[in-house]
Amino acid sequence: MKRVVITGVGLNSPLGNSYEELYENLSNEKCGIEYISSWEDIDHLGTKIGGVVKDVDFKLIPRKYRRSMDRVAQLSALSTADAIEDSKLSQDLLSSVRCGIAFGSTMGGNETLFEYIPEVKNSMSFRGQNSMAFLKIMSHTVAANLAQMFQIKGRNLPTCSACTSSSQAIGAGFESIQYGKSDVMICGGGEGLHYLAGGVFDVLGAASTNYNDNPKEASRPFDENRDGLVIGEGSGAIVLEELDHALKRGAKIYGEIIGYATSCDGNHITTPSKEGMKQVMQTSLDDANIKANEVDYINAHATATHAGDIAESNATFDVFGSDVAVSSTKGHMGHLLGGCGVVESIICLLALNKSLLPKTMNFNKLDKDCASINILSENVKKDIIIAMNNNFAFGGINSSLIFKKFKG
Amino acid sequence: MVTLEEVYSKVKAILVDEFEVEADEISMQSNLFKDLELDSLDAIDLMVTLDKELEVEIKTEEMKDVQTIKDVCNFVLGALNNE
Repeated sequence: MKRVVITGVGLNSPLGNSYEELYENLSNEKCGIEYISSWEDIDHLGTKIGGVVKDVDFKLIPRKYRRSMDRVAQLSALSTADAIEDSKLSQDLLSSVRCGIAFGSTMGGNETLFEYIPEVKNSMSFRGQNSMAFLKIMSHTVAANLAQMFQIKGRNLPTCSACTSSSQAIGAGFESIQYGKSDVMICGGGEGLHYLAGGVFDVLGAASTNYNDNPKEASRPFDENRDGLVIGEGSGAIVLEELDHALKRGAKIYGEIIGYATSCDGNHITTPSKEGMKQVMQTSLDDANIKANEVDYINAHATATHAGDIAESNATFDVFGSDVAVSSTKGHMGHLLGGCGVVESIICLLALNKSLLPKTMNFNKLDKDCASINILSENVKKDIIIAMNNNFAFGGINSSLIFKKFKG
Repeated sequence: MVTLEEVYSKVKAILVDEFEVEADEISMQSNLFKDLELDSLDAIDLMVTLDKELEVEIKTEEMKDVQTIKDVCNFVLGALNNE
């Protein structure tokens, strides 16, 4: 099978809008979570905080493409433009049949959805509805809009599975190249902040509500005083490329993907399954043909929900024991849902290339029901070779990606 | 009675505000597609916006021959004055 490397990176997150900014803000232990005043008066919405992307200029996207994009697609477009530029892909290559895209989000554009549906339903009329609403709402809006904007003509694989959307996108791109279907795949995902997501988790009792007055301390993965996840927004894109193809054109290489697995629990629609998590981590190790003790760092999904962190820490302990360094970066920026898989994969690349193993923000004392894995409570500077990124989604969908430092 | 100039002024404002067309590119003779680089979806949405602002209903199939700003204005004017 072909080997797959990463040759371009772009992101827009609550913790920065580039690889370097993300590195600086992780190094300086910044937090991108804040109080959302516009959520103040929403009844029965207990969570009033979120991770917000700032300093983005959507006008950089030409109107003819922007017109059919909601916030989720616009953020993703900016990230993708940066990743493509970073990778120095020519337009000829980008538009060849050998270049494809895999991109996901939890759902289509929420802002448009919340305008369109009530208007049609209340009036029982489509008069006054423009032609763009559906194109912003549809589930594959991001992948479709990006393909149009960047004139991508190869395979298009929308991966819309909530919190595993972008890790499954990376996995789909990885396998496309491994099996020789593509030479280059643009992979990632995104999420636009909307109170809908906050409300959904709030209803389930899974959103943080006790730290609205202290947003920077709200997202506390694995900590005994955690009270749920904090919603965030963001997007990321990475360019995957077949190794020889990348070497031939002299591309910069951020790392190699050596393993991927995805699976489902086939059990409960929301309850996390330790067994499902274990299985996907082990299958990913098998795919990479490595042993658990070869992994140096794990970026955990750990959203700071009660049940999720307990299940994941126990699954991680069962596979890896308590030696491997583990952190969740959701304390820094919240849960980016469709964007978390790719942004956290980029954090794994930072770990490989800049020797930064980021701490778990707000982690003071391990929950007594969590397994005693090696959760980093401080940033660690360490040269490492292999990093794993795990993500888990509603529906019992699991994903695990393994990245390796590229030495040429 | 709405005049052609009033409709033109409204169409021009919509093209600038909603469709980000440069004001100095717009004239009565401008072709929506060749000069202003709009497409058929933009043409639909232009009419939807005019409907919202002027309360003039124009069905998609009725505007298939519209090409220039003048065509748009005359079409809107006709619909308005027929009402």
